[in-house]
Amino acid sequence: MEYEDKAGRPSRPPSPKQNVRKNLGFEPLSTTALILEDRPANLPAKPADEAQKHRQQYEEMVVQAKKRELKEAQRRKKQQEERCRVEESIGNAVLTWNNEILPNWDTMWCSRKVRDLWWQGIPPSVRGRVWSLAIGNELNITHELFDICLARAKERWRSFSTAGAEVENEDAGFSAADREASLELIKLDISRTFPNLCIFQQGGPYHDMLHSILGAYTCYRPDVGYVQGMSFIAAVLILNLDTADAFIAFSNLLNKPCQMAFFRVDHGLMLTYFAAFEVFFEENLPKLFAHFKKNNLTPDIYLIDWIFTLYSKSLPLDLACRIWDVFCRDGEEFLFRTALGILKLFEDILTRMDFIHIAQFLTRLPEDLPADEVFVAITTVQMQSRNKKWAQVLAALQRDSREQEKGSPSLRH
Amino acid sequence: MAETYDFLFKFLVIGSAGTGKSCLLHQFIENKFKQDSNHTIGVEFGSRVVNVGGKTVKLQIWDTAGQERFRSVTRSYYRGAAGALLVYDITSRETYNSLAAWLTDARTLASPNIVVILCGNKKDLDPEREVTFLEASRFAQENELMFLETSALTGENVEEAFLKCARTILNKIDSGELDPERMGSGIQYGDASLRQLRQPRSAQAVAPQPCGC
Repeated sequence: MEYEDKAGRPSRPPSPKQNVRKNLGFEPLSTTALILEDRPANLPAKPADEAQKHRQQYEEMVVQAKKRELKEAQRRKKQQEERCRVEESIGNAVLTWNNEILPNWDTMWCSRKVRDLWWQGIPPSVRGRVWSLAIGNELNITHELFDICLARAKERWRSFSTAGAEVENEDAGFSAADREASLELIKLDISRTFPNLCIFQQGGPYHDMLHSILGAYTCYRPDVGYVQGMSFIAAVLILNLDTADAFIAFSNLLNKPCQMAFFRVDHGLMLTYFAAFEVFFEENLPKLFAHFKKNNLTPDIYLIDWIFTLYSKSLPLDLACRIWDVFCRDGEEFLFRTALGILKLFEDILTRMDFIHIAQFLTRLPEDLPADEVFVAITTVQMQSRNKKWAQVLAALQRDSREQEKGSPSLRH
Repeated sequence: MAETYDFLFKFLVIGSAGTGKSCLLHQFIENKFKQDSNHTIGVEFGSRVVNVGGKTVKLQIWDTAGQERFRSVTRSYYRGAAGALLVYDITSRETYNSLAAWLTDARTLASPNIVVILCGNKKDLDPEREVTFLEASRFAQENELMFLETSALTGENVEEAFLKCARTILNKIDSGELDPERMGSGIQYGDASLRQLRQPRSAQAVAPQPCGC
């Protein structure tokens, strides 16, 4: 099965054999490779009719080869034009973002035109700035605050590496052992964050930045601390922003209600999010929804990874960044809409799978997901259920679960 | 998906972060070491059909996240597991110290009868060892666990760990100690035992059918 083969295989450098084949493909095909020769002089000559037949065949072959060459040339020209067109449109988009949108952010960001441009993906050169603006800085974090948190984190690392676990007791409720464990875990997880990019690992150019942001955050929010999944979010931000700005975006992003619910591992609230997701799942994909129900495939199985890492671990990085583009603008709703888009894209395959194959497929998506197809699928997802929007559905479910808790305390474990 | 098997067992892989749970699973499924490994967020899956004592058994393996904080989430995956690999890292005493907590979770949330094999992973890093074989085997004995030291890197004892656990479950089924019919046993009868029932239906499928398109 093709999708199984593609899924989860680390992309290896092509073998030498493949390389040779590839190179040949790009070499100009030439008709000069076809030469009609008579028999060697030491052999009897061909009969005239045979020679005539061969000449004819030869000419046909030349014609075919020329046709192929022409076609190939046209294909390459088209490819070249396409590449130019894409580059030009990115170039134009960069100009529009830099000259028109960013200087007039407050008035323009929610306009129709900007929304359309936004949906097509923010050019990488302005992406970081747009994300920062869209995420905002509700927490009013300054560069100085980042420096203070970072200095504190560094002090802690030093005291752990020299004196062991003897640390002042400033964060009540957190034992030194816990904190040490989380520092150890940060170190361990950094080595396991986008390992194939080889830039965040020990000795890599972004290792210290990633370490700084995660360390500073545990000092800024000791009540949340370090939770697995954070390293992916910080890493994606670092790829687009300077360290201090990445920290500001990181802290504000995690402060959003959905992210707080997940990173505090508030299981009850997470279940409410999953329940809201299922409302829209049933609405959009009733057949697949029934199939999942029948197979006991609950949404937490695939959503936890997707929501915790904001798709940066499960989707190709380019595509993940485009999801982030719209997520920064539209908020949590878009994360769940994306999930439905992915399910929709693979609806046919998924309805033919059993529990274990669905679970394996969704926790290890194919590596070469085409961004455009994913976005087309997302577009077709309706985020309305019986005239209720995401936020309303979620709020209603939250109310229900609160009332349930109050109403039947004996049922709680 | 034309798999046939006699039984399906739900397996868990549990233990602290960084002990090599996903690498053990990968080694078992793919027969090689997973370089460039990510940390698991939530849960990942693997499955393989193995032959144990003349029976074909499909293992459905749930590989869980290791961070303490995720426990409230991963706990919900324990239900109905028939077997578990409880993993620690022989070069980290901390991961060994938390074994008791993981074991309690497994026995209370999955089933008191869950068959658990203790795996001291990273056997290949012997010079950095912090937990001796003797100490861990004593812990295993006291808690009625099977025990192996494994290496997801070299593959040593990896297959054995999964097979040993499966074999023990089969023995318990044979002896009547485990009842596959009981709800939440983590055991299901597979297609093979239903084959005879299914044959008429598959014969029907060969007959020409009106095309839906």
